[in-house]
Amino acid sequence: MNNFGRILAVAPPCAAQQQQARGMATLKAISIRLKSVKNIQKITQSMKMVSAAKYARAERDLKQARPYGEGATAFYDRAEVKSTEEKPSKLLIAVTSDRGLCGAVHSGVARQIRNELAIDDSNTKVVCIGDKSRSILQRLYSKNLILVANEVGRKPPSFLDAAKVADEIAKLDFQEGKIIYNKFKSVVSYQVSDLPLYSLDAVSKAPKISTYDSLDDDVIKSYMEFSLASMLYFAMKEGACSEQSSRMTAMDNASKNAGEMIEKLTLTFNRTRQAVITRELIEIISGASAL
Amino acid sequence: MSSWRAAGLNYVRYSNIAANLVRQALKPELRAAAAKRDDSSVRLTPWKDGKPNRSAAAASE
Repeated sequence: MNNFGRILAVAPPCAAQQQQARGMATLKAISIRLKSVKNIQKITQSMKMVSAAKYARAERDLKQARPYGEGATAFYDRAEVKSTEEKPSKLLIAVTSDRGLCGAVHSGVARQIRNELAIDDSNTKVVCIGDKSRSILQRLYSKNLILVANEVGRKPPSFLDAAKVADEIAKLDFQEGKIIYNKFKSVVSYQVSDLPLYSLDAVSKAPKISTYDSLDDDVIKSYMEFSLASMLYFAMKEGACSEQSSRMTAMDNASKNAGEMIEKLTLTFNRTRQAVITRELIEIISGASAL
Repeated sequence: MSSWRAAGLNYVRYSNIAANLVRQALKPELRAAAAKRDDSSVRLTPWKDGKPNRSAAAASE
């Protein structure tokens, strides 16, 4: 009754005819829908397999890349490097990739940067590694973008990639910076973290730089160049590993959801089919009894 | 000042060139595996005033 009322409201003149046409069409429509959901499930399942394999490799690589990042941050901690400027010109580096369909890895990094820019965006520049962070940040803060690196994420990041980016970043003028990346914790979790960057000036004026022996300006300069590249490398590896693990979970969930949807659709499909058969039988029987 | 810096290289470039030479000097059976570590696909585009600065990108390459 209720249903009938709704149909009346939509199309009063030919309600009966419409309902008949609709019943036939839904059967077809449901089967088309069912097929497409099944295809999507197949795709997400194979994407999950692919990212599981890539993840295994990324995690192995990450173990080897960790010392690079830890070494560099340990140096900054021990020497107690602090920024000397009152209002430093800042540089934020977003480490993401070009590829989507991996949960919230990219938006997490972008959100962190947006929060920092929301406080003060006058003297801050942004470097985007990966198209995803670029497309998110471009909308609101395109003026702050200074360098974009793409073609990241198709292959596992190499040190040469990081070196190229570091080379360009070293040319930029900044007094303090942050590399914002996803730190891989376990297969199911990652956390947005940052690595600090300082200018040459801040490092050579650090209060405890004398902990390190026989440093002259040349050595510090070389080390700064190397540490920037190695921290980028570390951040890119961490990011790649989190991305693959997150894609794995995302695709697993997508397959599960598709499975649920398939169940529901199969049920409605069968019910509708039965209803059509029953109606046809009723029509035949009542037609026969009318004779 | 070291000679490589005088030639306009920075430390990362200098060490990459050195690493490349080491890879080339490897025995053939190890060289193939090492060559895989020696590729990079990243592309860089400088941005200015909210737009990609393509001409500068072409100039730097």
